[in-house]
Amino acid sequence: MTELSLRLAVSLAQIAAVMGIVMLTVMILTLAERKVLGWMQDRMGPMEVGPYGILQPIADGLKLFFKEDIVPAGANKAMFTLAPLLAMVPAMIGFAVIPFGPSVTLDAFGITIKPFVISDINIGILYILAFASIGAYGIILGGWSSNSKYSLLGGLRSAAQVISYELNVGLAIVGVLLLAGSLSLVTITEAQAGGFWHWFIWGARPDGFFPIHTQIFAFVVFVISAVAETNRVPFDLPEAESELVAGFFTEYSGMRFAFFFIAEYANMVLVSCVAASLFLGGWNAPYPGTILGYVGLERLAWVENVAWFTFKVYLFLFLFFWLRATLPRLRYDQLMRFGWKVMLPIALANIVVTAITAYFFPRG
Amino acid sequence: MNLKTWIKTITFYELLAGMKATMSHLLHYRPITLQYPHEKRTLPDNYRGMLALLRYDDGTEKCVGCDLCEAACPSRVIRVVSAEVPGEPTKRYSKEYYMDMTRCLFCGMCVDACPVDALGMTREFEWAVYDKRQLHLNKQQLLAIGDRSFPVREEQLEFQHPNVAFFNVAFKHLPQKPS
Ligand code: SF4
Ligand code: SF4
Repeated sequence: MTELSLRLAVSLAQIAAVMGIVMLTVMILTLAERKVLGWMQDRMGPMEVGPYGILQPIADGLKLFFKEDIVPAGANKAMFTLAPLLAMVPAMIGFAVIPFGPSVTLDAFGITIKPFVISDINIGILYILAFASIGAYGIILGGWSSNSKYSLLGGLRSAAQVISYELNVGLAIVGVLLLAGSLSLVTITEAQAGGFWHWFIWGARPDGFFPIHTQIFAFVVFVISAVAETNRVPFDLPEAESELVAGFFTEYSGMRFAFFFIAEYANMVLVSCVAASLFLGGWNAPYPGTILGYVGLERLAWVENVAWFTFKVYLFLFLFFWLRATLPRLRYDQLMRFGWKVMLPIALANIVVTAITAYFFPRG
Repeated sequence: MNLKTWIKTITFYELLAGMKATMSHLLHYRPITLQYPHEKRTLPDNYRGMLALLRYDDGTEKCVGCDLCEAACPSRVIRVVSAEVPGEPTKRYSKEYYMDMTRCLFCGMCVDACPVDALGMTREFEWAVYDKRQLHLNKQQLLAIGDRSFPVREEQLEFQHPNVAFFNVAFKHLPQKPS
């Protein structure tokens, strides 16, 4: 009994820590996005709250917290309330299986703790994909229940978009799963240890350097589809400001709006984490081992690993901003054509090629 | 589709060119915006801001109550009540003079129309108010704006004071901008 409660306490502490980090990242992102966009467009971004505007996320949070919470007339109240939660919870819950650092174990109080992953379940990536599709329900329901044509259009677009692009996400990662032979993100990350040529984006075999199993096409498909799945520019049709006011959350205000907002940014962080874990070696440094390990500080090597993971994730997040600063929105038919006629064949071909190479040149 | 366009398509060449452009702006970050309430840009000499009624050097109002500005105004901003100057039956002045600045579009037609250069455009532009009735200005207020924007009344003063933005001075006299 005590062991069970101890496990519960440890898990809760881990969850709290991860949630705190994710929320902090979301706050940083809201500021970083506006700053990066501003700089790329020769503006300054927010400058008023705090020095150089760094306290802007706090001001925004307070503002959203105290804003009036409006439910439009004729809205389906239950669904209207449920939708933001349905969008936010799946975005948050995916972080449970992300390995943030090396898979060391700690033995404390008679139980074994894995400090850098909340739960190492063997279907990790499947779990993330499953919950990501539930998140789409939040968007669709939010659009439908608002009793507004703009929201409905945004929700419908989102439904079509998520279906088309989730397929591509799923197919793009199949190659990686074939090579790693596992669905657990921890195992997948460990399979890429030992230098950047072992990352699946390069795809050398464990004993070689030649990129025989390269997943670069899958990586491109994954990144593009991930941008589409998180409803970011240039695939932000569900919330297209210039046509649909704000798309599915047109009618939302106050805390409910904040939930959708957090969900969007948490989703960005999540797909960045997944992309880093699947294709860029997760917490592995781009050279074998760790520098801290070589200088005799093996006990602190995790710092370097976590730093590499953070760096990779922020690289992806920067890519999101960069794309947003550069690209205009796609038209709807372009979006669909691109998804079904370009991305899908590439992903399928990648599976076939990877399967063949993995059969003739097996890993280890 | 020839080979070159095909390669450009599959490598997202155009996208990468665009992303290079945005990245170069990020790396050579030089903002062109100003932190407005803290920094203000220098306004050009011919800036058309808030309207004002002007006085002669001796302090008498220039306006002769001719109503031409009211006729010239396309948005019916101005209302002039003309009257004889008491004791001087040959002279007229505007007994009352109202401007409804909520409608003004700062075209400067009234300034052009005035035969005695009694109207001027200042460089004031921060006229946001909470009650829009405050934008219904009477003669005293317009004269006060003129007094504060054109404090020195000398000949050709418009070229001496930075606030001066006469519209109806002869354009041929405008000095060349130092470049
Ligand atoms: S500037 Fe134009 S709109 Fe304004 S009062 Fe003069 S004539 Fe009328
Ligand atoms: S401001 Fe000029 S145009 Fe208008 S009434 Fe007076 S003198 Fe006439």
